[in-house]
Amino acid sequence: MKGNRALGLAYLAPYIIGLLVFTAVPFLASLYLSFTKYDLLSAPKWIGFDNFEKLFTRDRTFWKSLNVTLLYVFITVPLKLAFALFIAAILNYKLRFIKFFRTAFYVPSILGGSIAIAVLWRYMFATEGLVNMALATLGISPVDWFGDPGNALFTITLLRCWQFGSAMVIFLAALQSIDKSLYEAAAIDGAGRIRTFVFITLPLLTPVIFFNLIMQMVQAFQEFNGPYIITQGGPLKSTYLLPLYIYDEAFKKFHMGYASAIAWVLFVIIMALTLIAFWSSKKWVYYAGDKRS
Amino acid sequence: MKFNHLSAALFGTALTALTLSAAEAEELRMSWWGGESRHIATQKGLELCGAKHGHVVKGEFTGFDGYLEKLTTQMAGSTEADIMQVNWPWLPLFSRDGTGFADLRSLPGIDLGQWSEADLASGSMNGVLQGLSVSTTGRAFFFNVTTFEKAGVAIPTSWAEFFEATRAVKEKLGADTYTFNAVKETAQLLVTLAVVQKTGKDMVDPASNRVAWTVEELAEGIGFLGKLVETGAIRSQKEEASDGNVNLFEKPAWAAGKIAGSYEWDSTYAKYADPLQDGQVLKPVPMLKIDGAVTDGVYRKPSMVFAISANSKHPEAAAQILNCLLNEPEGIAALGTSRGLPASKAAAAQLANEGEPEVRAANAIVMASSGPTVSPFNEHPEIRGIFIDTLEEFAYGQLDAQAAAEQIVDGVNDVLSNFD
Repeated sequence: MKGNRALGLAYLAPYIIGLLVFTAVPFLASLYLSFTKYDLLSAPKWIGFDNFEKLFTRDRTFWKSLNVTLLYVFITVPLKLAFALFIAAILNYKLRFIKFFRTAFYVPSILGGSIAIAVLWRYMFATEGLVNMALATLGISPVDWFGDPGNALFTITLLRCWQFGSAMVIFLAALQSIDKSLYEAAAIDGAGRIRTFVFITLPLLTPVIFFNLIMQMVQAFQEFNGPYIITQGGPLKSTYLLPLYIYDEAFKKFHMGYASAIAWVLFVIIMALTLIAFWSSKKWVYYAGDKRS
Repeated sequence: MKFNHLSAALFGTALTALTLSAAEAEELRMSWWGGESRHIATQKGLELCGAKHGHVVKGEFTGFDGYLEKLTTQMAGSTEADIMQVNWPWLPLFSRDGTGFADLRSLPGIDLGQWSEADLASGSMNGVLQGLSVSTTGRAFFFNVTTFEKAGVAIPTSWAEFFEATRAVKEKLGADTYTFNAVKETAQLLVTLAVVQKTGKDMVDPASNRVAWTVEELAEGIGFLGKLVETGAIRSQKEEASDGNVNLFEKPAWAAGKIAGSYEWDSTYAKYADPLQDGQVLKPVPMLKIDGAVTDGVYRKPSMVFAISANSKHPEAAAQILNCLLNEPEGIAALGTSRGLPASKAAAAQLANEGEPEVRAANAIVMASSGPTVSPFNEHPEIRGIFIDTLEEFAYGQLDAQAAAEQIVDGVNDVLSNFD
């Protein structure tokens, strides 16, 4: 028994050591550093709440970046989830070449976060890019996707929504696990497709919607590649998400303490929104065996 | 027994010889960034110089991206290489008070007489020589001669002629032909050029460590950038952003001669000339000057410096290698022009006939032009950020030239005050 325990711990050791060294220590170190002035080259100097005080009272860039980030998350997450669910519902039908379509719709998720796709996006949405050429064939005048601060964030949002594959696969698996007898009963009662979707499918999908909501929200708050490659946060900081700001402060200006403070504010925001989502889930997420009606 | 004595004697002698050679032959590290050709040239140079002076030098090389982060992490942990290639504007980041790197004047074996006093001054922080200039670079004007010929106008020699030529080019070749380019740091450096030509002063006053220009002087320089847009010489920042941050040399309009000029580093001539379509010719031309200019306003600086670690266990051996790479025939021949046209007089003489003629011509223009000594703070990441962000606000009409100038002066002074 003792031998088994030692063996088990030995198997766990690489994970535990990795967790401590690469996650727990940097996590706690960043908390400490957020209360310091630290430029990497000289020792951190304790300054109490000065970084946070500056962040909340004097840093216009932070507020601008926070607004942009929240807008990005609140647009991207519902749009992406709705689109993923819509495609999953279609792919749940028995169609010809359905396996090909399922693969084809998942491919963007494999490619999605890569630098190459961000570069491709840049060329597609440039003034003389593919998208404007397509619009021109429909008689629509070209859109300034990146140069207009009002459009740039939307263009970045589309890139994120395009990577809907992983959420779609989870939705598809959940759709396929719904008991068919429920649909049969609904059909006998005379329910149409929309009523069946709203009153049978959707409630049974709520645990998966909730899971996807949390995952997509956390990922959206961490978005970096798209805006960094395509717009570098511009124009006029209209796509300057907080992860870009953290990167610039830490690695371009060497304000490690200040960057840590921004990172912790971002962490607290994500945590708060996650807690709100968990709290609200009691009202709208239905699990198997749930007694609510 | 006899054999044992003999073996012991031989073993002892061999050990002594090994110990002696180990004391002389130091093992060193050198780090740099660059492309393939520079990596090969530097490795060859280290091999030859190492063999000449009896040391082994291990190279640590990478591309430019990420090099600053790597160097900073190493400096923070005192694990940096003995010899380092350091970008010149990074000197204030690593050595505000002149103690970040070894004092090169205190190390024997480096022939400092091969550099001009200006080069040595620009590699010094707080009066301490921290880095030796490897090559001198500067911004030069490149014009697409073919486009101007097509429009039937001569290559301009002053800004007044330039605006006249722009009008003619647009009339002849269409409104979508631009005579110049100014994006991000090039826009910053064009504003800087206009102010320096007018005032003769670099942005930073070394005596007070504050912005040397008045708000009015800078506002006039920003107005000059506005004039470039208004006259159709350059595309507006909004139009540039519409392309999604594509480099000038990657733009089809540049390749086709529809953008016919820019203000770039002299050493980057090939990067801009190579993508041009067949028949298009790019030429470096002398500095254009505004009316009433008191100087050419050339932005000239060391492109990079070689520094020795303050934590090196073998600083004298590192100094020998450094001198060999920059001043001795073996090192000079091996490095060639992989880091631009060398600043060392010995290397410049030895490599007098090497390098691309147009790069030589651009470098000759930069070296012959006048201008104040450029402070590394011009390229400090925070200062550059303030400048570029504010110019963007000006370009989008959020600020007028006066308000933009005020914002830049205040922001830059804030950053400079951290270095008092």
